[in-house]
Amino acid sequence: MKYESQKIAYNYFVVATLLFGLQVIFGLITGAKYVWDFDPLLNILPFNTARAIHINLLVVWLLFGFMGGTYYIVPEEAKTEIYSPKLAQLQLWLFAAIGVTAIIGYIAGWSWGMPFLEQPTVLKIGIVVVALIFLFNVFMTMIKTKEWTVIQGVLLGGLVMLALLFLFGIFFMKNLTTQYYYWWWVIHLWVEGAWELITGSIMAFILLKLTGVDRELVEKWLYIEVGLVLFTGMAGTGHHYYWIGTPKYWLWVGAVFSALEPLPILFMVIDTLRDVKERKVEIENKLVLYWAVGGVVMHFFGAGVWGFAHTLPQINQWTHGTQITASHGHFAFFGAYVMLNLTMIYFALPQIKGVKVFNQGLGFKAFWTMNFFMIIMVLGLAVAGVIQTYFQRVLGMDYLTTQGFMRLWFAVFWVSAWGFAAGALMYIIDFFTMGRIQKSPAG
Amino acid sequence: MTLSQAKAVFIWGTVSSAVILLALTYNSLSQIPQRTHEDRLDAQVASGKWVWQKHNCNDCHTILGIGGYYAPDLTKVMSYRDAGWMKRFLKDPEKVWPADRKMPNLHLTDQEITELTAFLGWVNGIDTNNWPPKPVAAAAATASEKPGEAVFKAQGCSACHTINGVGGKVGPDLTKVGGRRTKEWIEEQLKNPKSHNPDSIMPSYAKLPEKDREALVDYLSGLK
Ligand code: HEC
Ligand code: HEC
Ligand code: HEM
Ligand code: HEM
Ligand SMILES: [Fe+2]
Repeated sequence: MKYESQKIAYNYFVVATLLFGLQVIFGLITGAKYVWDFDPLLNILPFNTARAIHINLLVVWLLFGFMGGTYYIVPEEAKTEIYSPKLAQLQLWLFAAIGVTAIIGYIAGWSWGMPFLEQPTVLKIGIVVVALIFLFNVFMTMIKTKEWTVIQGVLLGGLVMLALLFLFGIFFMKNLTTQYYYWWWVIHLWVEGAWELITGSIMAFILLKLTGVDRELVEKWLYIEVGLVLFTGMAGTGHHYYWIGTPKYWLWVGAVFSALEPLPILFMVIDTLRDVKERKVEIENKLVLYWAVGGVVMHFFGAGVWGFAHTLPQINQWTHGTQITASHGHFAFFGAYVMLNLTMIYFALPQIKGVKVFNQGLGFKAFWTMNFFMIIMVLGLAVAGVIQTYFQRVLGMDYLTTQGFMRLWFAVFWVSAWGFAAGALMYIIDFFTMGRIQKSPAG
Repeated sequence: MTLSQAKAVFIWGTVSSAVILLALTYNSLSQIPQRTHEDRLDAQVASGKWVWQKHNCNDCHTILGIGGYYAPDLTKVMSYRDAGWMKRFLKDPEKVWPADRKMPNLHLTDQEITELTAFLGWVNGIDTNNWPPKPVAAAAATASEKPGEAVFKAQGCSACHTINGVGGKVGPDLTKVGGRRTKEWIEEQLKNPKSHNPDSIMPSYAKLPEKDREALVDYLSGLK
């Protein structure tokens, strides 16, 4: 850490970590309703409310992580302090307050009712204000020195794209098809566009610092990766326009472009492995290396492989809207964005806390526990999804009867989710105790 | 490859895909009104969409295949339910469909229910490129489906009754009901369940159109 204001990142990581824990708790509540039909919370916290809170917390804590990561990276890239640490602090509190209001609102039955975008309109406007403060602060920092690096440029591009796309999720449209058309501009163009830019840029920064390879090499690959992400991902939005009332040509366009989406993700894997192999300095923080390499590999399987598996219309017409989608959703979000954020946090935290060596035992345990149980979880959901696709869609059995046949696999999912929760808890403990418990250096 | 060549890949990749997306969006927006028969999208349907959102139905149910996977997809629900059933169900889901996995009673007003029903009816007409697909096994069966079987589905009898292993367990299995009950008896059961069992929880179907009831009775008495 070279600049004092990079410390701002810490508060963002604290909030992200706490919300991650809360997200997992709400996941367990939501999942229990699949294992037991009888729902004691039916009128207090029904499935829809629990699910809304679970997925909102997910997106919000990942955004906190991205913001923290940005405040950490930008000073080093721009070679200056953050323009206004005060604004950064204000932004954090404003965002957290909106988040808390949203959750309490959901429980009280206050909802806008589109999945992931359940926030009532006033709160969405608040979120836009948060985004404006954030972008202003980041931009003003970058412009202070005009040290334009590709890493910075891509990061800023991703953040601006993220904020602009959110605007398409604010307006009420009378036509459900049109509403969902633009809904995907937020959901799809975020995770398969804007967020990939942010990820590529954060990974490039970390690899650069970790391995000491040439900046030129890293930035060249970054351009190619994000260029291909946007080339395949933008027109690839079409893989969501097969069955929602949109014209037939999307069956072709969506299939061709989205089938290529795994390519840039594969490049990220190759790029990372090569940087590590050709490292110029010894990598001291082995734990970060594990999260980084594990992250790109899980990103590839969860998004690339699991996504490809149901992206062609011939398959998607049978699997659309089944637990296959839930399996992919968990795998991709975890592999791509949870692991990226934890990589960032494990990279930055020791430097912020000023610990040179720390006991990495718990961090490694958290790494293996979360990864192992997440794989079992998504396999459980995948089997449930195959049963659902075959019985309900192919054989024509009714919805609720089919759910009965899937129960065993919901149970597998839910029991392993407790294992995952244990891994998440290890991470949370590690986060707060790192540097406080000084032990002999390991690994 | 040099850095500036890599940058060119980035710029051209981005620009070309953005142009495709925007051009097709322009074209899609011009086709959506016909494909969703927007002429039938009246004020009631629009209010129904807002009721749908306000109660966050979408985080339990998928619609157009998007949303929570906890409850049946509602894109084509009005193809197998009629408006009467829908209104009774939304008023008190538990009573009309006492399934093990429950939909909460959302205490909707009569106006909200009417609007929701209009909304679901409009959604039912969206051209979804034939999604959800006809089940492979059922595609052959529907050709030989008896008219009474369709009424049985539309009225949601299987919420309480099982036929050939599919359905609920609140009422008796009807797989062989024709063997133990006469036509007249079944007709009476439909019109006035309380005539056979004063405490019956089965709803009365006295308001069903004559034609539908006859088809239903023929179908059931043929199950032996
Ligand atoms: C907490 C989850 C939940 C919420 C919220 C919910 N539903 Fe349901 N819904 C269910 C379940 C579960 C069923 C399956 C049958 C049953 O148990 O009653 C169902 C069944 C239905 C059906 C019958 C489907 C069929 O195949 O015939 C309709 C129609 C329906 N719901 C409409 C709605 C509407 C409209 C809303 C919002 C106002 C809504 N639901 C909110 C869980 C929910
Ligand atoms: C809310 C649950 C429920 C629904 C919905 C329902 N029934 Fe019933 N039904 C029952 C119950 C319970 C009985 C057992 C006798 C009684 O209590 O009336 C029954 C009895 C019957 C019987 C007599 C079976 C026998 O052998 O004694 C027939 C026939 C029947 N129902 C047909 C239907 C048809 C057709 C429909 C749809 C139009 C339907 N039911 C809808 C609950 C229901
Ligand atoms: C990191 C990147 C990704 C994330 C976080 C992600 C996440 C998700 C989520 C959460 C959904 C469900 C949305 C909903 O309906 O609620 C979804 C759907 C889908 N994703 Fe991804 N995804 C990613 C990348 C990909 C890629 C690269 C592909 C294709 C190669 C893909 C293909 C699909 C398809 C086809 C669907 C629709 C499923 C359906 O029809 O129900 N995804 N994704
Ligand atoms: C560990 C405990 C967890 C449990 C028990 C759990 C359970 C669930 C359940 C039951 C749903 C609703 C699916 C449906 O609508 O049928 C859901 C949705 C979702 N969860 Fe989790 N979850 C957990 C952790 C996570 C984590 C760590 C992530 C992120 C990586 C995550 C990401 C998601 C996403 C993206 C969705 C929406 C899926 C979609 O729309 O297809 N969950 N979760
Ligand atoms: Fe997508």
